[in-house]
Amino acid sequence: MDLKTLCELNGASGDEGAVRRAILDAARPLCDSVRIDRMGNVIAFQKGRKGDRRLLFSAHMDEIGFIILDATEDGLLQFRPVGDIDSRQAVSKYVLVGEKRIPGVIGALAIHLQSDEQYGHVLDYDGLYIDIGAKNRDDALADCPKGSYAYFDSGYEEFGDGFAVSKALDSRTGCCTMLRMMEKQYDADVTYAFTAQKQVGMRGSSGAAFDAQADDAIVLDCAPAADIRGVDKALKACEAGMGIAVSFMDRASIANAGLYKELMDLAQALGIPHQARRDTAGLSDAASYQRTKGGMRTCVLSVPCRYMHGPSSVIKLSDVQAQYALADAFADARKPLHK
Amino acid sequence: MKAEAFLREVTAIPGVTGNERAAAEYIAEAFRPFSDEVTITPLNCVVARQKGDGPKVEICAHLDEIGMMVSKIEDDGCLRLECVGGVDPRVLPGMRVRVYTKEGVRLGIVGTAPIHLQRVAEKTKNYSWDTLFVDMGMPADSVRSLVRVGDTVCFEARYAALKNGRAATKTVDDRGCVAIMLEAAQRLRHMEHKADLYFVSTCQEEIGCYGALVSGFGLAPDYGVAFDVCHADTPGAPPNSTSKIDSLVASKGPFLNPFLVKKLEETAKDNGIALQVAVDPRYTGTDADELSITRSGVPMALLSLPIKYMHTNVETFDMHALTEGGRLLAHYLAQVDESWEDALWT
Repeated sequence: MDLKTLCELNGASGDEGAVRRAILDAARPLCDSVRIDRMGNVIAFQKGRKGDRRLLFSAHMDEIGFIILDATEDGLLQFRPVGDIDSRQAVSKYVLVGEKRIPGVIGALAIHLQSDEQYGHVLDYDGLYIDIGAKNRDDALADCPKGSYAYFDSGYEEFGDGFAVSKALDSRTGCCTMLRMMEKQYDADVTYAFTAQKQVGMRGSSGAAFDAQADDAIVLDCAPAADIRGVDKALKACEAGMGIAVSFMDRASIANAGLYKELMDLAQALGIPHQARRDTAGLSDAASYQRTKGGMRTCVLSVPCRYMHGPSSVIKLSDVQAQYALADAFADARKPLHK
Repeated sequence: MKAEAFLREVTAIPGVTGNERAAAEYIAEAFRPFSDEVTITPLNCVVARQKGDGPKVEICAHLDEIGMMVSKIEDDGCLRLECVGGVDPRVLPGMRVRVYTKEGVRLGIVGTAPIHLQRVAEKTKNYSWDTLFVDMGMPADSVRSLVRVGDTVCFEARYAALKNGRAATKTVDDRGCVAIMLEAAQRLRHMEHKADLYFVSTCQEEIGCYGALVSGFGLAPDYGVAFDVCHADTPGAPPNSTSKIDSLVASKGPFLNPFLVKKLEETAKDNGIALQVAVDPRYTGTDADELSITRSGVPMALLSLPIKYMHTNVETFDMHALTEGGRLLAHYLAQVDESWEDALWT
């Protein structure tokens, strides 16, 4: 399944249904078993030719989004983010709300009507609302009841020198890589976990990790590319277009030192574009795999992603290719290079 | 042409103030089937005439839009922007914009630092023109060979049909009102009218109503009817600053001729068309301000289409209000005759 199709599906944490169904359909013909677990993760298993190693690859299938709290008397939907979305990214965006995908826009008081004091303030979620054209509260809630999810209506486009922009690159890039890996069979037994609810606290992966039968877990995610203006030089952690970012640590997990070195050496030896991620911002599902039950060796392979957690996050496609190349090479490797 | 089809197409054509040729050419073609003659003036006003033997009336709505220009290309290839007209920079983060380069239209992303890497002090500050930039997704050399300082940058064109006949798109200000004029022009083709009618889609309104100024001088009309957008009800708006979204608004005030306004109210009533009234104690902030003092003076009426979220890419309006506006205008213009001259200031 291509990245565009995956990115244009809507699946915020707790509302992953559409993504789950698409992944199930794509994975079934390629794997020995595919199941949905208790947390709503899709767990696919492919028996290896030799079964000498047990590997797990994991990518979260959920994305950031919004959820409807209520509507005002004049029919405007009040909402909050699901996952961390800077409210300043939400102003004046096109959205789709609820199961019927009702079109709406995120409105705010026009610039002309704001006092100087209001203009100085950040528009937060109390000052923003979704306008679907409803005439009153009942009219609004009829189509978009409380608890409906809403999504940026921003499709996938390729632009510039091999870049792509979409709302859900984080981490449909990882899902895309795993679906591509499934087309091969490795010597090792491989479990592919498409996890739910990462954006609200790595909840899906906690269940997936408990059931996992593997020694090593490689998490395929996105990392904020700090190669952009407005970020302190000191925070420049990885750069779009410079290859797959290998993490030694993030806010919630620490990589196995041997595994980290193995992946870096493998990339070096095979000429796969790669970079050490020089920063620990952000969380990943690796936390779950690292320390559930007896624990696993973990490491995160991240596609550098600009403007993450907004309607227009940006990646370079060559970095997704590098993510596949390194994950594939690791799954192919005959034996661990380092302990 | 139906108003929705017209708006979907015309709002996607760039026409940032000062660079309106493409929009002007499209609008000229839209008016041509309903006009005796259509001309585009040197500043890119579109003048569509329906001939008559009676008083000369200029009806105007502006075709230019707020937008941006490239003001600088940074060493890393990011574009810095200058706004043209009143763009609120707070609507830009995460927006996809279209950059009109020498080799055609290119997508750019208005970038900001991600939430993960912001310090607390940054999170509570609004983005300003100093902190926003456009990412073209290409190396600096490629950007420099493609983009020039002064190139136009537009909001991405989208059109969302909402519930209850409402819709959101960019540039309803003021092509929504050009659509009202077009609607009226189509109707008047099948109606009798004495007046010599000039439907003028004006340029350069957003930086000072210069199109109205020069078109008024050229045409020397007896009367004028200006069309622009006003604010529809929005939470938190100051008192008396907004109108209901579902019908047009006629303005009253010293800049507007009381007889022409009274006639508008009568026409609305006679034809069962809803019409609200707003009060402009001084400047109206529209083409009416300039046109009314052109040459020896032009008695004016001003009609407004209420929209939400003015000067953003999600300007929201009511399609019924728009088409009823066209009906109101047609019936109004069909009544203009020589007798109006004596009644103007009584």
